[in-house]
Amino acid sequence: MSDKTLKFTLNGEPMEIAVSPSDMLVDVLRDRLELIGTKKGCGKGECGACTVIMDGEAVNSCLVPAMKAMGATVETIEGIGSPEKFHPVQETFMDLGAIQCGFCTPGMIMSSKALLDKTTSPTSKEIKKVLAGNICRCTGYVKIEEAVLAAAEKMREKQ
Amino acid sequence: MLQDYLFPETIDEAISFLKSSTGQARIIAGGTDLLLDIPDGKVKTGSLIDITRIPELRKITMENGVICIGAAVTHNQVANSELIQEKAAALAHAASCVGSYQIRNSGTVIGNVCNAQPAADTAVALVALGAMAEIAADGGKEYVAVEKMYAGVGKSTIDSASQLVTMVRFPAAQKNQGTAFVRLEQRKALALPMLNVAAWVSLEDDRFQWARISMAPVGPGPVRALSAEQILKGAEVKADIIEKAAQAALEQANPRNSALRGSREYRTSVLPVLVRRALEQAVANARCKCN
Amino acid sequence: MKDYNVIGHSVRRLDAVEKATGTAGFTSDMKLPGMLYGKVLRSPHAHARILSIDTSEAENLPGVKAVATYKNTPRELFNTSATMTFTVPPLKPVLDQYIFDNVVRYVGDEVAAVAAASEKIAEAALKLIKVEYELLPAVFDPLEAMTPEAPVIHESHKKNIPGGEVIQIPYGDAEKGFAESDLVIEKSFKVPVQKQAQMETQAAVAQVGLDGKITVWSTTQTPHPTKMILAKIFSVPESKVRVLNPPYIGGGFGVRIGLSAKAEPIAVALSMLSKRPVKVVYTRKEDFIASDTRHAGYVTVKLGAKKDGAFHGFYVKAILNGGAYCSFSCETPGVLGCMALAVYRIPNQLYYGHSVYTNTTPSGAMRGFGNPQAMYPIESVVDMMAEQLGMDPLELRLKNIMQVGDPWALPYKCSSTGLAECIEKGARSIGWEKRGKLNQPGAKKLRGIGVGVGTHCSNAWPWCGDYSNAYITVQQDGSIHLATGVPDMGTGTSTSLPQLAAEVMGVRLDQVSITFADTQSTPFDIGSHASRTLYAAGTAVVAATRDARRQVLEYAGDLLKVPPERLELQNSVIYIAGQAVGDDCAGSGVCQVGESERKSISLKELAYTAHLRNKQFIGIGRIVPENAPPWHAHFAEVEVDTELCQVRVIKIAAVHDVGKAINPMIVEGQIEGGVLMGIGYALSEEIKYDEKGKQLQDSFHKYMLATADDAPEIDIMIVESNDPTGPFGAKGVGETGLVPTAAAIANAVYDATGIRFTEIPLNEERVYQALKEISK
Repeated sequence: MSDKTLKFTLNGEPMEIAVSPSDMLVDVLRDRLELIGTKKGCGKGECGACTVIMDGEAVNSCLVPAMKAMGATVETIEGIGSPEKFHPVQETFMDLGAIQCGFCTPGMIMSSKALLDKTTSPTSKEIKKVLAGNICRCTGYVKIEEAVLAAAEKMREKQ
Repeated sequence: MLQDYLFPETIDEAISFLKSSTGQARIIAGGTDLLLDIPDGKVKTGSLIDITRIPELRKITMENGVICIGAAVTHNQVANSELIQEKAAALAHAASCVGSYQIRNSGTVIGNVCNAQPAADTAVALVALGAMAEIAADGGKEYVAVEKMYAGVGKSTIDSASQLVTMVRFPAAQKNQGTAFVRLEQRKALALPMLNVAAWVSLEDDRFQWARISMAPVGPGPVRALSAEQILKGAEVKADIIEKAAQAALEQANPRNSALRGSREYRTSVLPVLVRRALEQAVANARCKCN
Repeated sequence: MKDYNVIGHSVRRLDAVEKATGTAGFTSDMKLPGMLYGKVLRSPHAHARILSIDTSEAENLPGVKAVATYKNTPRELFNTSATMTFTVPPLKPVLDQYIFDNVVRYVGDEVAAVAAASEKIAEAALKLIKVEYELLPAVFDPLEAMTPEAPVIHESHKKNIPGGEVIQIPYGDAEKGFAESDLVIEKSFKVPVQKQAQMETQAAVAQVGLDGKITVWSTTQTPHPTKMILAKIFSVPESKVRVLNPPYIGGGFGVRIGLSAKAEPIAVALSMLSKRPVKVVYTRKEDFIASDTRHAGYVTVKLGAKKDGAFHGFYVKAILNGGAYCSFSCETPGVLGCMALAVYRIPNQLYYGHSVYTNTTPSGAMRGFGNPQAMYPIESVVDMMAEQLGMDPLELRLKNIMQVGDPWALPYKCSSTGLAECIEKGARSIGWEKRGKLNQPGAKKLRGIGVGVGTHCSNAWPWCGDYSNAYITVQQDGSIHLATGVPDMGTGTSTSLPQLAAEVMGVRLDQVSITFADTQSTPFDIGSHASRTLYAAGTAVVAATRDARRQVLEYAGDLLKVPPERLELQNSVIYIAGQAVGDDCAGSGVCQVGESERKSISLKELAYTAHLRNKQFIGIGRIVPENAPPWHAHFAEVEVDTELCQVRVIKIAAVHDVGKAINPMIVEGQIEGGVLMGIGYALSEEIKYDEKGKQLQDSFHKYMLATADDAPEIDIMIVESNDPTGPFGAKGVGETGLVPTAAAIANAVYDATGIRFTEIPLNEERVYQALKEISK
């Protein structure tokens, strides 16, 4: 087992870290880099709690070998907004009750952001299709969908 | 424990890595199936050769009415491709059904085929479209119909430790042709299909010139509904004929009893409904000049 | 309708920022210096005796620091569920679990555990543990397990009935009731195993100090009871055990009322053996197979009515599959029975029910706790009665539902009900008048509309002990700190309880902070279950805040030389009622002779003044709650594809009488989540066991809960009947969202197809078989 040097861009900053070819991206993020916002709900790509955005696409980081991030741009929940300036989708999730236990929330927000980065006029149908890979057991998805639509509206207004 | 993770920059380099690893390395594209199979012990390998950075493999192209999809092309790229939506609607739809949004961003169409699960959605569509795979290895290239890439349930004829499928090719649907894909599922994401059917029909006025119908999981790989195709050849496009063909699809279908995804009895009962709906949609697709 | 300052408003949750930025603390994210990772070896057999365990190779694997089995862990009987801490005499809690036993009783039962430097090493070590089993015969169905030939699963309960406890609730004379009825209908139903499938799996981090003090961070819904259970297992004083959430839990839905399966005791045992902190996080598969499920079982309903529709006789029988260990198997049949008998006003009723041990995953608490299992059968039979009487199903229900003050079998009053309003609003939303006119002849996709109603409770009394304590301290700057022992597993208690405190005290919500779910710094509270947290803990919070407010006003009265009864406290300012804040009252006639001229004071100044005079205001609330029934009516519109044998929900209108919505957005969110879980119960969620007792649906991929793309239109409406016993009129909400959903859907499917299903979920296989039957 030989360590490789993984170089990638993480939340806008250059990152370099030794990884083993067997490492999964989710474990590098959570255990090595201590970015625990990305959650592990199943470890098998079946729940979306581990969703991050890699080169602009939402992916299950539990199924991405860390090495696949070589030279890539990776965004996690830690990088998309903060109290100084929340991402619109964080604002609407907070304001519209789209958060209950909070465990699915980071993954759900990342999938939503990936969609909103591509279009600020998503239809309900598109939102449902994109978020179908993020399981939530608390909300019934109702206020989550409302929050994504509201975030889209905010983003259209800004444009 | 994996020893190495390599990024070849060309097809030749990938083949060369395979050759020098003498079976201890294998190809990875998206990895959404492979990275579950390795910890489960279903696949044993020393190193992974990641082909997703090879430029020629990342393209969807059309030339002389033939569409090519490279090995690094993801399900979402196929689902969102205007070209595929227009000229191979069944495949665009099938790709949009796989797994989940995240899985479709990582997983590739060709990886889906090589994983050799009988009801892999894109494979079912590709078989209906008569797709051929280009396979590169140390000895050169060969061409195999996707339909013939199944050695058994879950067993591909491809040895990913020595071969690289570089692309699949199939004819684009012409103006008088339509394609469709239907899926019977227990929920709309994160669920394998109970049944899926793809159809490609070619019409002349009110008649079928021919039809190609592929269905799964009713055999080790996607199965052609040959009896149904025979009935449709030259036949009028009428409800009772379509129904007759749909019923005839049962002749080649052999669904298993699955405790999770439907009994044999249930799936046998509903398969003709799906075949009928696939044919109706393919006909509508042909007639609306959507292709 | 009174307008309040803080309650009744959909304010943003106080934990929203943490959760939206990924900085919220969960047990599974924790890391302590020197921490080891624990993994559990589980039985592959449904029933077996352990003849030998050889852990020597595992112990010698580099990186392994401890291996635990039944040989080196306490031999103390317990029950993972909190019943052992709140079962009230003469009932006795059933204690039938050890951390590890030398008998395994279901596929997944704990055999051993390893603590190692990494998860990978711990997993590798498990493979090195050699276990010799002697297979024993196993039984998986409760009816079979009751027969004399069935294998005995627990020596202490030879008839396979946990605790030997059979619940009988007689009310009036059921036999006479049926004899006097004009119409009697009886039907039997089968209900499935459903799984909570909460997003954060069972997890615990345990640290045992060299001084013997035990600290456990975990996903428990009930830190204080869990502390009691751990103290008993490890024979240490409760005061030496601290249990806390860190501070959030990724969902619960009943799966961790008490211990989080065995995560806590295994983590503690490994920490004791290794002398290091140990983290145990269940894999998703372990969470499926080795943590409590909902009780499946057989429910029979018999209903007698007069020809004018008045219900006159009622009998409900429930035989539930308790699984391999008791958990909540004594309470669930009890709650099922009580809820069954509490919806309709029927003078002659009888309930009979109990659980049965089988060699399957233990059944325990899951949202609804027997109520969904009761209402699907009952509401089906009520619809059957309506049809036979030629009455509209709504009319029949409205005639018989409980009214305020009606007598019933429960020991507390029916103190409020808005169910009639719920029915009326839901009927309008779904378009009830369309019923019977939805389908063209020959249609292959059939639509139908159905209704289901129900009730629930607002805490666990009288079935268990139930009480809450809280204290409020006014900080030196006039802000308020609230301490309560209940957790927030997503239900929003860490926001709604501060809302109550803010409202009662007269301060803005941003002036209130809360410590919760830590046994070391909060007074005893039963915890979050039985839809009790807002109702019971909220009542304690209100009491504590009133106590603090009284002290504040007394002190202010002294300072301002005004009797405290004349003082108001709003917006953190104390002033004379009726007088504008800040006014000088000279000449106004408001000041009395001898009173100071200063007629108002900010809470901030008051608190600091008191502080400099060596005083802090501390309010304590200690309450035993009453109980009150929430009410709900669900209306479903479904479409049945008779060719593909699939049922699809088009819309659910869910109308809930919650007494008072303290935070409407949170209340709606809870109901919406419950409704989707109820749809799953009706149509697709089910865990079956194969012939060897292995779960077939042991992952998210196989267990068919709904994704965002499966969610239909859900219309939630709240009715507020302002219950006299709850804080500001509030009643329980958390579990109610899925109580009548399956009932409404099954009745809608009947309306669409004429098929009365006696088994759920209505998946493809069941619908296919039923359609096949009627086509014969």
